[in-house]
Amino acid sequence: MSISGVHLTRIGKSNFLLEPLRSMNIQDQDVLMRDIAAHVQQEQGQRLYYDLNGVPVIDQIYYSWLDKLSRTCQALNIKMICINMQPTAAFTLSKLITTKPIFETALGVPD
Amino acid sequence: MVQKKEGSEKLAALFSVKVGNISPQLEEVGREYFCADNKLMDEDEVADLSSEFVNLISGLLSSKEPHKRTTPQFHALEMFFSGLAQRMLMRGGNVEDVVRYTQQLQYSLISALEADSGIAFTQSRSVLLYFAQHFNELIMEIFHTYLSERENTLKAQEAELRETSTPITEIWDGVLTLPIIGTLDSSRTMLVMEALLNRIAKDHARAVVMDLTGVKNIDSQVSHHLIQMVRAVQLMGSDAIITGIHPEIARALVSLNIDLTGVTTRASLSDGLKEAFMRMGIHVSQKAG
Repeated sequence: MSISGVHLTRIGKSNFLLEPLRSMNIQDQDVLMRDIAAHVQQEQGQRLYYDLNGVPVIDQIYYSWLDKLSRTCQALNIKMICINMQPTAAFTLSKLITTKPIFETALGVPD
Repeated sequence: MVQKKEGSEKLAALFSVKVGNISPQLEEVGREYFCADNKLMDEDEVADLSSEFVNLISGLLSSKEPHKRTTPQFHALEMFFSGLAQRMLMRGGNVEDVVRYTQQLQYSLISALEADSGIAFTQSRSVLLYFAQHFNELIMEIFHTYLSERENTLKAQEAELRETSTPITEIWDGVLTLPIIGTLDSSRTMLVMEALLNRIAKDHARAVVMDLTGVKNIDSQVSHHLIQMVRAVQLMGSDAIITGIHPEIARALVSLNIDLTGVTTRASLSDGLKEAFMRMGIHVSQKAG
């Protein structure tokens, strides 16, 4: 199944890696969320690793997108983990938020 | 009236004078200030310096507007003295020597021009005033250079001190320690944060132990920055552990209503390291026997 603007790859038995592409349009976040969640659920995924390697800055809009996607996943019992957050993105996001985000974070996909 | 006319005649004569080889007279001044005990220059360098100065002053006097201090000729003289001040300061000289040299150069120049042309420039108030005004500007340029050099040195020392006072060390594979010593202010916290986040990304560090044993004071803004730093570390996917919080700082954090929920704290750096090792599944034990 192809989802416009993202690469969604199965890694391991029940993990998925989501790599956002430059063409990803978060204005269409409802459609994107539905498609991503549907695909992971259909494949019986339990974890969704969101790769932030190509995201230099996380502003309010992008954070809101991550938050909504994470909540959608949570409703389907899928754990969303953001990986490879860049120092600049961590810096801007830490200034933006006052509480811990709903999604988990990790340095990368565990070995 | 007659005196004024006489004065302007001398000044006109100064601007039309062909500056001859007065360099040897001026070398004396250079030798006195730069070759004596301090050994800031050798004799050849002083000779070059005097010769270059004579060329520049000759260029100024024969220029179309020798009165103005905005001409390229005067600017070249400013550059000459600025460069000289810079060189002397780098060699360990002091600004006083350069200023005294410049003042002495002014008097020697007038005497040398008088001796060379046979016109009594030292008796002319207009000529003396002309040189005094120009040399005052040049001395100002020397002070500007001195101040800017001092400022650069202080900035460099400050940066060096900052770097050495917050050493980020990889104490174990994937474990970083950051002992913070001294007063934390906002700008320093930002620098530490930047360095720490980049280091986490570079080393793929899984745990960071921030030791505050050496921090005696903390204010509202800085405590927020500290919590922000912990949050940023966690966002990157690492564990942040704060150790060595003084009772005074703990009291300040409470009175500032800083929420430490989700922040792991331990009493000492050693406890912090044990916690980091435990989270990473590392077991350190004493060798049997």
